[in-house]
Amino acid sequence: MKTARVIYEDGQHKWIALVRDPNRPDFLIDSNEYLVIDGDDSLLLDPGGVEVFPSVFSALSTEFDPRKINKLFASHQDPDIISSLALWLEFNPQVKCYISWLWASFVPHFGGNKETFITIPDGGMDIMIGSQRLQVIPAHYLHSSGNFHLYDPKAKILFSGDIGTALSPPGEDDLFFEDFDRHIRHAETFHRRWMGSEKAKRDWCQRVSQLDIEMMCPQHGSIYRGDQVRRFIDWFSHLEVGVVKG
Amino acid sequence: MAVATQDTGRELRRIVRTNEEIKSVVATAFKINLMAMNAIFLAKRAGQTALGFGVLSNELRRFAMDLQKQMSQLREMTYGSVNTVTALVKQARLNRVLERARKESSGVGRSLIDEFMRTRHNLAFARNREQIAALNRRLSQMIADTAQLVELGSVLARSAKIEAAYGGAFSTSLMQVSSDFERTIGEIQRSLESLTKQQDDSL
Repeated sequence: MKTARVIYEDGQHKWIALVRDPNRPDFLIDSNEYLVIDGDDSLLLDPGGVEVFPSVFSALSTEFDPRKINKLFASHQDPDIISSLALWLEFNPQVKCYISWLWASFVPHFGGNKETFITIPDGGMDIMIGSQRLQVIPAHYLHSSGNFHLYDPKAKILFSGDIGTALSPPGEDDLFFEDFDRHIRHAETFHRRWMGSEKAKRDWCQRVSQLDIEMMCPQHGSIYRGDQVRRFIDWFSHLEVGVVKG
Repeated sequence: MAVATQDTGRELRRIVRTNEEIKSVVATAFKINLMAMNAIFLAKRAGQTALGFGVLSNELRRFAMDLQKQMSQLREMTYGSVNTVTALVKQARLNRVLERARKESSGVGRSLIDEFMRTRHNLAFARNREQIAALNRRLSQMIADTAQLVELGSVLARSAKIEAAYGGAFSTSLMQVSSDFERTIGEIQRSLESLTKQQDDSL
């Protein structure tokens, strides 16, 4: 099963990363799920696919009562992001799922009905979790055409979806890393291929460089901390994207 | 639980086979309808000597239309089964995932899954299985009713063959037509036997 790791805690406000299942079959891409808690309220970010549900659910329940999961955030529509929706709804049919308006009629193929979805307009929006206001940051075409990230001003954490993904080999896939130059080699091919728009990339870099970020948490791979975040944004802004061969 | 998944997969494949068999009977029933119309024209041309054959041809045409109606009802029934089996396949998959989640969980997570499976999930699964069993029983009954109807068609075809012998100059043509009836109805009987066997296997 995955491990639940508290990556930020200040009083009632907490971020938990659900990561690294040693029994994950190698034909499934590894994914990180994050739970933001504020008091009794919570938001599960990119809850994952059906196949990883058992390990996400079991890891999550070591830290938090799964019945209290009442909000989900899907950065985009992919199966590794949100195909477990039907299972979360089985446990709490009142669960609300935040997703781009663009995908509101596609994602119900994974489960849910009209009442399940809260659509996010292209410009983003705020989501209240307990007493904290989280900001939904547009990241369209990076890689999905309706794509969002989530910024927590209190924790200074940016959940960056697929941006920041590094497909690191075993042994170099810790939750945090130390050597940026070594790490970023495993991110290059992914970003060149998956991020399809130079303009969208420049807009995103400009947008997030205005945020005060202590941690950047991608959906795959290790978390960026401190100066690594600035270095990543700088590296990404200079990377040629939308090319088939790296 | 894996057995349940296999069962539902097998059930879905069986329904697809049933539906294909029904489609073939519908096509044959349509063929009988056309054959009966031709036979009616032929009997009219033969005149007084083929009066009996003409009456039987009319009956065979009515039989073909009844058979088509019966088969379209059977088809609707199999579509209903597809819906129910699809729900069952989905539930079987959920069961498999929940069973894995249960094994990996402890404490509140495990008791939550236990309670959920006991109170809601397994009940829904059982309810769907019951629905499929009921649909299968109705399907079997309808196949049996259809087999009776086809038996009547078979009797009509044999009688037409006898009447053809009294067809005078048209006797050979009438005999040919009634033999075609007999052969075609025989095809339907074999299809129905295969459907009955599939149903028996599922019950």
